[in-house]
This record gives sequence, C-alpha cells and structure tokens, in this order.
Amino acid sequence: MATRKRFPAEFVERYSRFIPDFDDFTQAMAAPLPRTVRVNTLKATREKALDWLSDLEPEPLPWWELAFKVSDEGSIGKRLEHFLGLVYVQDAASMVPALVLGPKPGERVLDLAAAPGSKTTQMAAMMDNSGLLVANDFSRTRVRGLVGNVDRAGCLNVAICRMDGIRLGRAVEGTFDRVLVDAPCTCEGTIRRSGEALGRWSVAASERFGRLQKGLIVAGFRALKPGGRMVYSTCTIAPEENEEVVAYLLARYSDAETCEIELEGFSMRQALAEWKGVWFPEAVASCRRILPQDNDTEAFFLACISKKEQAC
Amino acid sequence: MLSQVRDICHRFGISESVFKGLVDIQLQDTVFVATEDVMSFDLVRPMRRGLRFCRMFPRSVKPTTFAMQVLGRSATRNCIDVDNQTARQLVNGSQVEIDAGPDVENGFVLIRCQGFVLGTGLYKRPLLKSQIPKYRPVEE
Ligand SMILES: C[S@@+](CC[C@H](N)C(=O)[O-])C[C@H]1O[C@@H](n2cnc3c(N)ncnc32)[C@H](O)[C@@H]1O
Repeated sequence: MATRKRFPAEFVERYSRFIPDFDDFTQAMAAPLPRTVRVNTLKATREKALDWLSDLEPEPLPWWELAFKVSDEGSIGKRLEHFLGLVYVQDAASMVPALVLGPKPGERVLDLAAAPGSKTTQMAAMMDNSGLLVANDFSRTRVRGLVGNVDRAGCLNVAICRMDGIRLGRAVEGTFDRVLVDAPCTCEGTIRRSGEALGRWSVAASERFGRLQKGLIVAGFRALKPGGRMVYSTCTIAPEENEEVVAYLLARYSDAETCEIELEGFSMRQALAEWKGVWFPEAVASCRRILPQDNDTEAFFLACISKKEQAC
Repeated sequence: MLSQVRDICHRFGISESVFKGLVDIQLQDTVFVATEDVMSFDLVRPMRRGLRFCRMFPRSVKPTTFAMQVLGRSATRNCIDVDNQTARQLVNGSQVEIDAGPDVENGFVLIRCQGFVLGTGLYKRPLLKSQIPKYRPVEE
C-alpha cells in the first residue's frame, strides 16, 4: 500500500480500476529497473558478446536468446563492447515489439517513429543487414542519436528520414511488408527508469497524445502493402493512447484486422474491453499489455495489425 | 565499385565479395555504402542511406571507423592489433607508441582488439594516432 502514495491520487484511481494486482504494480514501478542488453548480431555472435560481458554476470532472459540481464556495476555505455556495437542497452519490454513484428531478411520495413533507434537497430539485425528499413523521426535532435546508433550498430540496410510520420505515411502508401509505429506517448511505463514522466503526468496529456497517435497509426497502416503487418506500441498505460487508438483505426479501415500476440516465456495481459463506459470492438482484445510486475520490465502496450489482401 | 572503395579494399586486403548486394555512391566528399534496396528507395528523400564509407581529402582518402567495424572484418593487411587497455586509450582519442612490425605501412591502418575492428588510425612509425570519432569516454 505504501508505494501507492508515490503516485498522484488520480493515477491510482484510474489504473487501480483495471490493474487488479495494483499494489504489485506500484511496487514494481517503484523498484529499480534491471539492466538489460541485446546482443547485436551484425557485429558479434552471442558467444563472443558474452565473453566481453562476462564480468557483468549476464543472465539469459527466457524468451529471446539475444536478451540478457546484466549486473548493475558501472556504465555499460562506457565499455569497449558498447563502442564496438557488440551490445545495445535496451529495456527488455522494448525488445518485444520488434520480435512480434518479426521483420525478415530482404523485406521492406518502415519504423515510423524511430529515434533513438533501439528498435531500428534490433530490426536491422533481424533482417541480417539486408532489404530496406526506413527509420523516420520528426525530431532533429533525436535523429542525431538515431544516426549515431545506426552507425555504431553497423546498419547497411537503413535509410534515415526526418519527416512528420503522417506526411511520410501518405508518400509511401502501400509500400512496406512491415511497419512499426512505436508512438510518441506519455511514457507512464518508464516511470521506474526515470521519474520524469510522473512529474508531467496528466490525463489531458494522454488525450493530446491520443490525437497524434491516431494520425500515426493511420499513417503506418496506409504505408503497409496488402497482406502486410504492423505493430503499434507505446510505453504507456493510458487507454486513450492504446486501445482507443487501435479502435479508431479499426473503425475507419475495414481491411485492418488485429492478430494474436504471443511470445513464449514472456507474460502479457489482455487489453481492456471497455474504458469509461465505452466498449471497444472485440478485435481490440487481441492487443496486449505488458505490466512491470509480470516480467520485471517497463510497462508497454502492443497491437499487431494486418492489412487484408485485396479481393480480386 | 568506386575507385576509392577499391583502393581501400586493396590497402587493407578486404575481399571485394564483402560488397555483394551493396551499392556505393559518392555525395560531395563522402562515399556511402548501403543495400541496393536502400539506395534505390526514392519515394521520399532520406537524409542518410547506409553508412559513410570514406571521406576524400585533397591528398588522402580516409576510411570511416563505423564502416570499417562492419566491412573491414576480413582485412588482412595494414592492421594493428592492440590490447584492451590500449584500445581504450585510442577510443578516448590518445595516440600511442607501437611497434607494428615491418609489414604495416605508414598511413591509414585498421586498429583491432580481440579480433574486432575498433576503427581507423593513422600510423607514422612509431606513433599510432587514433582517427576514431569522438565518443563518450570509455573507462580506462
Ligand atoms: C517512443 S519514441 C520512439 C522510440 C524508438 N522507436 C526506439 O525504440 O528507440 C517516439 C518518437 O516519436 C517521435 N515523433 C513525435 N512526433 C512524431 C511525428 N509526428 N512523426 C514522426 N515521429 C514523431 C519522437 O521524436 C520520438 O523520438
């Protein structure tokens, strides 16, 4: 109960409504985040990377052979293997959207809101440095970080754009096999990494982001080829930025359908069926919530959407 | 393949087969290397395609650290192997004295550590000067 007091009363009131084990949730949110890294297979094999990390006692995570928890000593960013691009520091939950999207070598993939490039570099490696991965972001300063990470990770299959995602979606209609929309959000899920998101927390902010997210999810969907697949993700809890956004897309595009999401060894919860008295379409139930107490990660939301093949 | 890229491959003994499926283009004084699909993508204008491979100066062509880290792995010539401690000093921008043996020529070299290309250096016996771009300081 004590950890509830660290959160605004309105936050507690809102989220205890649909997170049944709410005290476990606040406890996990108040606990330090374990440090996790991903091996970058564009630069090193799993074994070689583990040799470099050995003094940090890497512990494999059960759901992906390239994800490891490491001990908390010193800054990984100041280690040689980080400079060499052998490993990438990334929260475990943030590795899941790309795993669910599953980009393959040779495909055409769009990362609509990509900076600083955690998921871009992960997908570039999953694609084995082949095909086309367009990594776009609107923010000039964040794109600088994206360029730096793409360089360090050794990505030869990435084209970096700096455009409003909504404009980009229009320009590339029907082009991509897979699209990731890792949307800008209120970042409530990152509270355990930094208190910043809590400091500026408000329901109004979620409503504002919700409007932008609706534009971006539509843009991502338009960029998909028929038969293509899109993942929409946020690191936030607010239904206005999650289920409501997916419901908005489904209501406008009859060729959009949600797919089941599963990752063996990683617990996820069902999305909400209803919020503030409004019921979401049944298809929204296939979306998933990642809660911090389930896998000791940040909180995330995931939707996997496919675009129906055109009838001939 | 552009002549600058071929010259770099020759200097370091990098097999040209490393470039299979890749395209090189020159934009002003820089050569970029990327996959064919990245280079031919023309629905919008990306601000960057693939990796910077090298930069042309009036009297030299400098291979970049990040391209060499991934494309220079098969290098067989003009490479200098260093231990972890020296590698850290070089990443932090220092220059070190090193006896690289008779086969290494003065000029651009690839610095390697535990079999990984760390980046490029400029060797003028016995000084090895780091050409690695500024990075957050690595713990020495
Ligand atoms: C959650 S972050 C992306 C994190 C990134 N996918 C990663 O894994 O490293 C959301 C990003 O959306 C960008 N953004 C905000 N508005 C945008 C817009 N209209 N178009 C494209 N990107 C936008 C922000 O600059 C921010 O970098």
